[in-house]
Amino acid sequence: MEFLSLIWLIFLPIIAALIIMFPRFPNHQVLVRRFAKWFASFHFIYALFFLLFFDTGMYGMSYEKELTFFGMSWLKSLGISAKFAVDGIALLLVVLTTFIVLITLFMSKMHIRSKHKLYYSLVFLLESSILGIFCAKDMFVFFVFWELSLIPLYFLISQWGNQEARRAATKFTVISFVANMFLFFGMLLLYYYNFAVSNVLTANIDSLNMNEKIYPLWFQITVFINFIIGFCIRVPFVPFHFWYPDVQSKASAPVNILLAGVLLCTGVYGIIRFNIQVFPEIFKLFAPVLMVWGIVNIVYAGGLAIIQAGIKKIAAYAQISSTGFIMLGLACLNTAGFNGAVFTALASAIVYSALFTVISSIQFRTKTTYITSLGGLGQVMPKCMHLSLIICFCAIGVPFLMMFTPKLMVLTGAMLSNLEQQLLVKIAAFIGLCAIIVSAGYILYFFYKVFCSVLLEQWKKVKDLSVQETSVLSVFCLVIIYFGIYPMSIVQIYQSVSSIILDILQV
Amino acid sequence: MTEIISAYMPEFIITVFIIFNLIASLFFSTYLYKLSKWFTLFGIVLAIASTIYLQIEPEFFAFNATFLTNIYTVFFKILILMSGFFLTLLSRNMIREKRDRAFEYFSVFLSGILFAMCAVSAVNFIVLFVSLEALSLSCYLMLSLNKNPNAKQLTFGYLVQNAVVSSLFLTGVSVIYGICSQFGFDKISLYLLNANVESSQPQILLTFSLILIICAILFKVGIVPFSSWLPDTFEGASHPIGAYMSLVPVLACFAVLSRILMTFLHYTYTIKIVLALISVITITFGSLSMIRQENLKRIMAYSMSVQSGIMLLGLCVFSVYSLSSVLFYLFCYLFANIGAWSAVILLYNSAKLENLDDLKGIIFHRPYYVIAFTIILIALAGLAPTSGFVAKMYICSAVARSGFIFLPFLIAALLASVILIYGYWRIIRAMFRRIETDILIDNSVISPKFILYACSAATVIICLFADKMIRFCQLVAYYM
Repeated sequence: MEFLSLIWLIFLPIIAALIIMFPRFPNHQVLVRRFAKWFASFHFIYALFFLLFFDTGMYGMSYEKELTFFGMSWLKSLGISAKFAVDGIALLLVVLTTFIVLITLFMSKMHIRSKHKLYYSLVFLLESSILGIFCAKDMFVFFVFWELSLIPLYFLISQWGNQEARRAATKFTVISFVANMFLFFGMLLLYYYNFAVSNVLTANIDSLNMNEKIYPLWFQITVFINFIIGFCIRVPFVPFHFWYPDVQSKASAPVNILLAGVLLCTGVYGIIRFNIQVFPEIFKLFAPVLMVWGIVNIVYAGGLAIIQAGIKKIAAYAQISSTGFIMLGLACLNTAGFNGAVFTALASAIVYSALFTVISSIQFRTKTTYITSLGGLGQVMPKCMHLSLIICFCAIGVPFLMMFTPKLMVLTGAMLSNLEQQLLVKIAAFIGLCAIIVSAGYILYFFYKVFCSVLLEQWKKVKDLSVQETSVLSVFCLVIIYFGIYPMSIVQIYQSVSSIILDILQV
Repeated sequence: MTEIISAYMPEFIITVFIIFNLIASLFFSTYLYKLSKWFTLFGIVLAIASTIYLQIEPEFFAFNATFLTNIYTVFFKILILMSGFFLTLLSRNMIREKRDRAFEYFSVFLSGILFAMCAVSAVNFIVLFVSLEALSLSCYLMLSLNKNPNAKQLTFGYLVQNAVVSSLFLTGVSVIYGICSQFGFDKISLYLLNANVESSQPQILLTFSLILIICAILFKVGIVPFSSWLPDTFEGASHPIGAYMSLVPVLACFAVLSRILMTFLHYTYTIKIVLALISVITITFGSLSMIRQENLKRIMAYSMSVQSGIMLLGLCVFSVYSLSSVLFYLFCYLFANIGAWSAVILLYNSAKLENLDDLKGIIFHRPYYVIAFTIILIALAGLAPTSGFVAKMYICSAVARSGFIFLPFLIAALLASVILIYGYWRIIRAMFRRIETDILIDNSVISPKFILYACSAATVIICLFADKMIRFCQLVAYYM
């Protein structure tokens, strides 16, 4: 499979962005949009090929490839090389990213009215940087892509959002840079103390595993905390979540889909890749804390979701609440919990980007996102109502839809967890179970207020979904139903990774 | 004789071109003024060529062992000459306005470069003092070119403060002479070694005098307690001269500073901590001041101060590895800084835009210009896909490597650099603001645009091919 090269996969979007930005490329919105859509479709199919030829039984990374510049590796004298490889989780996230970007580009037509060339090239730059995050095998290459992703994000949020978007984007960027500095500091510490212990100057993530080496405990804890601060802002977990609803309510609709579908997975991936794989001992030490943190996340964000007035904010808080399940699942330290956590990340990305797609259609027609000024849209938008019913049920966790299995797995994992604090574990599982009911509350409230209550006078002439939107939402619903009925098709792809990680954790 | 030629050839070529410029200023100052630019460029290219080709052996001494050339000085001389090359191109619009002064301007300009090169090569305190003073003198002369009376007032502070600082430098040198009766670096360090063995009596006085000398050099690169002259002077200077002052003295002073630190002060641990503290304060203070400025030139002034602070943080570790990281940072800083100044100059030349508010909505008129400027600002801020990131990472790794005691300074500097990022981000944000204005950027001037695009490409290319340059910097640092 020589034609399957991760380098091409990562850097093709950058090439597309450069083609779009090239001065000779016609500055005509239809042409730009068509080119972008065709390219994204091609790229999605290319990513699917990776999944097709992926050996699920393989132990470790596959498709390894190094980026060289005329035979030289990048920063070889500092022990840093631009190596890329994927395992099961990363590959799923890569496919998810290309899928979400494709969907975003299909939804961009209605909402993006100016600076088309800049918009589409920034989307491709963002895609490239996120693919780089998932594929990087080297710590600093990971960090390069991690920082690179902020630059297109800032412009995507600030340039096409509403009037207050610039302020929200600046807030998000500054907070992210502070987090990045913690992350960078942790990486530098790790890099040099690995060098001091093993006398090999390397930043390769696989060779940084702290299990075999003797580090002082305080050092490991310091680095661990630095890393987790860096990642938690991106996920986002509760005390650092404030940017997310803010940005989501002010950014334009396609950017909402991108943020919900792609960005949040990078943080989860970082936690799995660094906090678990590099510091297994400390992760075990911190597992009860993280479990409580996850529960706080679920309950607190769920509570905030109930009282929100904007539908975008409801969806954003609902997503933050569902990320609590990821933390809970990871902290269980068993197979069911881990598998459930990864599955939750994937499922919440798909479900909430679908929800944001619905919201974007509503916003485009009514020009408002306040829940009090919406109502009864189901009478004029029946197609939209039926499709979003499936999506809303999925977000709650109704059986045979995509979100059911991961929540079940996480809660089972929590029940079966072998942590020392058994009482805590049981309480956590119980609260998680109750939180599902709360989530049913706010999602159904959202659904009822938007689609079912009395139809207001001003929305009587609202048109139903166009063909394009219907097809996009149908694709989402098909994905949701398919993986709800047959969840093992996803789980078996990353089964080997979870067994590796549980080996590392020695549980 | 051949040794002198090998050691002093580039300086000699520059001297010849200074004299030619002066003679030419007598005859064709008002007409054929364009000749002066090409003349200067030719001289600089010739000097670069001679620097590269004559330097075959590792070391040469000249003038009774007061003047050293080795690969370290060659590295710095090439950086200085390269910045001179770009700055000559950037001063095109200014000399068009003052065409009767073109040849004089370039003779002063070249003499500044000449003395910067001499300061890099100096291994004797007298030569060092004369070179640094002459460098400052050329700066005064160029600052006085701006006829605006307000500018005179603003730049006068620089003259006065620089005079005070020169006296500090001289005090330090005279105390050293009083102790060791020597001016040469090697002899003083030998004396230090012997004194270390025998008794520690003159040690304190010596350290004190060296600190005075270091203070004088830190003044010229704008480290915080001595940086009050920076914004006013930059605001008063014409744009190309601001670019000149943020590059040539910085390059020369960092060469001198690292040599003095490595030669004399490697025995003390306290001064490392003090320098690290000063650099962190510089980064924090400079960034905080930067985010309150509205004038682009003042922003660039604080930017220079903060960049020097970052380099000082790398330098204060006193190892070959950290020195190489500083050399690499200087190399990256050259391109990023020149690019940023060329963008500022382009804005000024086209529509006299100087403030952040004027930049609103340029993205609608000149998208490629804005993108190139954005890349350069990202490089200055030390963000990911540019040379600035690699340089920052290299310096931070050098600091992280040197022991636990520097880690608090490192995290403080990293957090302060977020403020720095915000400081550059303000410019980007202003340019991308969604307001329709009717700014027109002059299309006719080629050289600043060429430099802007070339530098923004260079920042990305250096990032990709950083490995070779890092190896070379390590070699250079090893031979210092």
